[in-house]
Amino acid sequence: MVTKTEETQLDRLENQVDNGGGGAWEYLCLIRKLKVRRSEKVLKHGLSILNDPKKRSSLGSEEWTLYEQVAIAAMDCQSLDVSKDCIRVLQKRFPESKRVGRLEAMLLEAKGSWAEAEKAYSSLLEDNPLDQVVLKRKVAIAKAQGDISGAIDCLNKYLETFMADHDAWRDLAEIYVSLQMYKQAAFCYEELILSQPTVPLYHLAYADVLYTLGGLENLQAAKKYYASTIDLTEGKNTRALLGICLCSSAIGQLAKGRIKDDKESSELQPLAVAALEKDYKQRAPEKLSLLTTALKSLKVSS
Amino acid sequence: MGFGFFVGVFGVLILSHATYSTVQYRGLLKIMEEEFSGPPINVMFELLLGFVLCIWAALTVPGKFLSIHPHSEENSIVSLPANLDFMIFNHRGKAFPVGTDLKLKH
Repeated sequence: MVTKTEETQLDRLENQVDNGGGGAWEYLCLIRKLKVRRSEKVLKHGLSILNDPKKRSSLGSEEWTLYEQVAIAAMDCQSLDVSKDCIRVLQKRFPESKRVGRLEAMLLEAKGSWAEAEKAYSSLLEDNPLDQVVLKRKVAIAKAQGDISGAIDCLNKYLETFMADHDAWRDLAEIYVSLQMYKQAAFCYEELILSQPTVPLYHLAYADVLYTLGGLENLQAAKKYYASTIDLTEGKNTRALLGICLCSSAIGQLAKGRIKDDKESSELQPLAVAALEKDYKQRAPEKLSLLTTALKSLKVSS
Repeated sequence: MGFGFFVGVFGVLILSHATYSTVQYRGLLKIMEEEFSGPPINVMFELLLGFVLCIWAALTVPGKFLSIHPHSEENSIVSLPANLDFMIFNHRGKAFPVGTDLKLKH
């Protein structure tokens, strides 16, 4: 999870490193810790450390972690030569290592030789059939080849064994959303909310899926999950506030006054509107008129 | 840090002095053959002072308190980590390779 303070710290360090202010190693460590994808920068700054013998030796054993990080970043940037050099160095230091074997297979993947990569992963799996990273890479290969249903099968099989892996659940949910299979995606998000109930982004994504599914019951549930997102973020999430407005409007149209809304949820929507207006007034006063017209068209603003 | 630590040490010293005083007081009572019902009032006061100083030092020296509320400024989650285990290389990086001049020099 990337929290607000970590994000500001990352931005500050990135700025500092880009302007030649030093701190490249701290920056790379933070990238590793937060698991963000900044391959271009990792490649540039990581190589500048690796090419400087003095800096490199001062890292001690962390040096090899950096080689691995740079190798993967180089694959992501299609600088396959750099990646190959890094892997060669690692190979020399750690012959017979599974982790280096995985990197080599990933390099094959980056080259686009799927069959060979698949073969390499299979041979890695023979030694250790429960290697999570390799199993995940197999899913990624299927996805990269455009074989989405294969990827789904693979992921489902993986999740039968490793049910607590929320990254995999998230990936599965995203695949299902991309295929417009919202019911299945909703199931994945339910799992995610169960395993990490304090992450507002899962509540938000689940509410989005439910809203997309439509139907009175789903809309009411979506509204509740938007509300829980607001609760967890203390009303700082604009998307959740807008979601409340959209849900209220959709429920109003579907129900057409048939169901008496309970008092609590009818209070919710004017509050959301007020919070939105206040937020817009504070942060983008010139766009307030856009918001009010949009809300008026939803017939939620009086 | 330095000041808080010093206060903590001072508090511990006061506490140990209070212990010492109590032990002495009991010894005195034994000589006078009286029952021990509780330490004298000035030792009690000393105990309280030492206790307060120790608590204050223990709360300030180790560092600042961090918020545990999920919605507080430093805990609010702004984005999820990129799913790097599932990353695939089919993207525009293929068409626009960067850093062709970059090289591992050794």
